[in-house]
Amino acid sequence: MEMTPETMKILANAIVLGASALGAGTAMIAGLGPGIGEGYCGGKAVEAIGRQPEASGAITRTMIIGDALAETTGLYALVIALLLMFANPLLGNLIK
Amino acid sequence: MPTALMLASAAAEKTLEVNGALKVVELFGEGSGLWLTESVIVQWIVILILLVVVLILRHNLKPVPETRRQAAAEMLVEFVRDTVHGTMGAKYNAYTPYIMTLLCYIMINNLMGLMGLRNPTADVSVTGTLAIMTFILVQYNRAKTGKFKGYFKSFIEPLPFMLPFNIIGEFANPLALALRLFGNMVAGTVIGGLIYFALGNFAILVPAVASLYFDIFSAVMQSYIFIMLSMSYISSAECE
Repeated sequence: MEMTPETMKILANAIVLGASALGAGTAMIAGLGPGIGEGYCGGKAVEAIGRQPEASGAITRTMIIGDALAETTGLYALVIALLLMFANPLLGNLIK
Repeated sequence: MPTALMLASAAAEKTLEVNGALKVVELFGEGSGLWLTESVIVQWIVILILLVVVLILRHNLKPVPETRRQAAAEMLVEFVRDTVHGTMGAKYNAYTPYIMTLLCYIMINNLMGLMGLRNPTADVSVTGTLAIMTFILVQYNRAKTGKFKGYFKSFIEPLPFMLPFNIIGEFANPLALALRLFGNMVAGTVIGGLIYFALGNFAILVPAVASLYFDIFSAVMQSYIFIMLSMSYISSAECE
């Protein structure tokens, strides 16, 4: 196939878009961290409620805050993945 | 960009609506860059809903509740008052109206996804604004309790070399606050869009289950988390 400048441009864009999609998928591996953290948090809260059922309100409140904080890193990864998928910041680096 | 790619990205934008809210009208003529977006219009609807509900709830109040309407209003106010009292302490009772407003506003905004509208909170500029309001209150509380000296001294505690970390931490809190609400809401929007996109014409039952979690549970939970974190940031900014 003849490589005209037009085909080369399409190919370059396709490579960048594909790599961005791979990067977005890889970024979401960070979902492991919040999963482990929140599971640990919930498990400990259940243990605490089992030991002290009368304090369940305060324990649940604290657990929710802990969950929300553990979630932060996962959300940073989600934002990066969304940027890579929909804002395509790397396409701007191609030579026009 | 080649036409095929442009068409593909336009299709993705249409089906998922994550590439920012829809732009409706450009203010002050073309090229000004100031857009009236879908988020702003949906927020006007939310403000109208809240206004009407509040006017109905506070109409004809009695010292002893007689109607179910008044009992419900008192329950809501008491819940927020007890939460503020329990989390921030008795000194901060004056923050109750702010926290109440924040809770109701964010919750109704999050629930707008049920009406087929785009959540305004799935727009980072909306959640960023809410987080900046909390950030200003944090700075205000620190300056008020510590005065001039205590305000600047709090940045070099416990040791002077902690200054950069303290400054980064000061800005990381509102950033995380904004991104948490935005991330959760936009995740719901994206996953809902993907489910509808994947199921096509057979989208029955499955989207309802997803909607139950993302549009109702997550919406209520995230507004609660937002106020809880706002309260703990504000009260922990206090200088001794």
